[in-house]
Amino acid sequence: MGGRVMNTRTRKLLLNILKWAVLIVVMLFLLFPIYWVVLTSFKTNMESYLYPPTFLPQAPTLDGFINLFTNYPEFFVYYKNNIIVSAAATVLVCFIAIFSGYALSRIKINWSKYAIAFLLFSQMFPVVSRLISLYGLLRGVGLLNTMTGLVLAITAGQLPFSITLMASFFDAVPMDLEEAAYIDGSSRVSTMFKVVIPLVVPGLLAVGIYSFLQTWDDYLYASTLIQNDALRTLSTGVTLRYLGELSYDWSLVNSISVVGTLPMVFVFFFFQKYMIKGLTAGAVKG
Amino acid sequence: MDRKLTKRGITERLFWCVLIAPSVLIVTLFIVVPIIDSIIKSFTDYKLANIVRNTAPEWNQFANYIKLFDSGILTDSVWVTFTFVLVTTTLSLVIGMSLALVLNSEIKGARVFRSLMMTPWVVPTVISALVWIWIYQPQYGLLRYLVNIVTFGRVSDFAILNSSKTALIGVITVALWKQIPLMTLLLLAGLGNVPTDVLEAAQLDGANGVTGFFKITVPYMSSVIKTSVSMIMIDNFKQFPLFWQMTSGGPNGSTTTLAVLSYKEAFIGHNFGSGAAVTTIWMLIMILFVFCYNKLFPKADLD
Repeated sequence: MGGRVMNTRTRKLLLNILKWAVLIVVMLFLLFPIYWVVLTSFKTNMESYLYPPTFLPQAPTLDGFINLFTNYPEFFVYYKNNIIVSAAATVLVCFIAIFSGYALSRIKINWSKYAIAFLLFSQMFPVVSRLISLYGLLRGVGLLNTMTGLVLAITAGQLPFSITLMASFFDAVPMDLEEAAYIDGSSRVSTMFKVVIPLVVPGLLAVGIYSFLQTWDDYLYASTLIQNDALRTLSTGVTLRYLGELSYDWSLVNSISVVGTLPMVFVFFFFQKYMIKGLTAGAVKG
Repeated sequence: MDRKLTKRGITERLFWCVLIAPSVLIVTLFIVVPIIDSIIKSFTDYKLANIVRNTAPEWNQFANYIKLFDSGILTDSVWVTFTFVLVTTTLSLVIGMSLALVLNSEIKGARVFRSLMMTPWVVPTVISALVWIWIYQPQYGLLRYLVNIVTFGRVSDFAILNSSKTALIGVITVALWKQIPLMTLLLLAGLGNVPTDVLEAAQLDGANGVTGFFKITVPYMSSVIKTSVSMIMIDNFKQFPLFWQMTSGGPNGSTTTLAVLSYKEAFIGHNFGSGAAVTTIWMLIMILFVFCYNKLFPKADLD
């Protein structure tokens, strides 16, 4: 009868339909909102108020962006502040994580075990709890409302994960290389700099990009430790300035969304290879 | 020889200390000390005035805790937090796993989809909130339009964030949108570790796709599933900006999580002692939760 053959063929077809259905539904959920924002940012403010909404711009315009670039200079102050804070925190995180990661992975003493537990444990607690206390403590030492205070607090929050991730990259470097260098009479410090560290540069890149994305995303630290408008970062600035009274200018809000996201998209897609390797290395290892 | 070894041991330890010192110092000063300090302050009457006038807060006989429990807001927010964390994490595991399985099969364009799907993950959280506030906008929003079409015009003014019944669903949707990419990425890496020959052999023995998935794929991936779920779960526990921007905890406290409650108490009401009491209870819950999670799903042996 050929019923069995038919059966497996229909099953394969059904499976294929199911696969595509899942793919299309989930991808639409993930990507359509992005399209929607980009679309609105190119609409006139009038058109963004049309109901039912239009799915293609009737008259594409750059008005939203021009408006943002000409009338809202403070947006670019927030932007610049955010770049400074994220970049400083990232550099600091990388610099500290590379040495600590090396120590935890390469110096085989049992203290490392406790240090890792200490770091992972500290990471688990709510950020608000630290901030309640940091608010008073930083004020006491004159670091409230300063970029230094903000950068240090953010760096601390980012360190535990970065260090453990960095250690896992050091773990992947074979011991033989180092031992060969020792036999050649190279000292521990110079072996560290000349042999081991160059081999973990891709890992360092992953840690750096991850920290940059994470610190760029910060809202809580900046909203509590900074009250001076001239020092605000993007997240807090945007929330305070454009989400309240101005939230009726949707073409502007959507332009802000696009401009605020673009650097992250570039950073991610440019370094995608390292990022994915880094993130999955951390998780697969545990 | 023996003496030389111990001498080397000492230098090793010293070197270790030098390398690790900066991170331990920063983490201690900016995380550990503040946490302990906030636990202490949760037992005191600690308000903005104490900070401004630089006066020491006074012990207040558990008043912060008593007030929180008596008013019932604390238990409500624990409930909201758990609902949010459990629903979001479960859905993101299920959807992420489905997408990962599809992308892992030989489907056309898998590589392109893999990289495109990461986009929501790189959108800053605050901007994710903006994106979805616009979609949810009660008058001109896309969601209102879609709901109107799907219900054939019966529901014509759907405003998801304005009703205490649906607001949490609205925030959960955004949280999922933001975290499904990462979940999928991690699970895809785990799927790469599942040996295809074992799966094929099982299929030859007559196991169907579903049995193969639960009997072979899941066990092989157990450690990846466990770490990615706990990573995402802790992130969900800490979620603050989405709630703050989209609902500020409302309407009617229906989206007031522990994070929102503690922030409101401390930085809006300027009652730092009360805020610290909320975070202290939150920490206890976290410790208990992680403990139970580790008991329920013991770590698989990796080596």
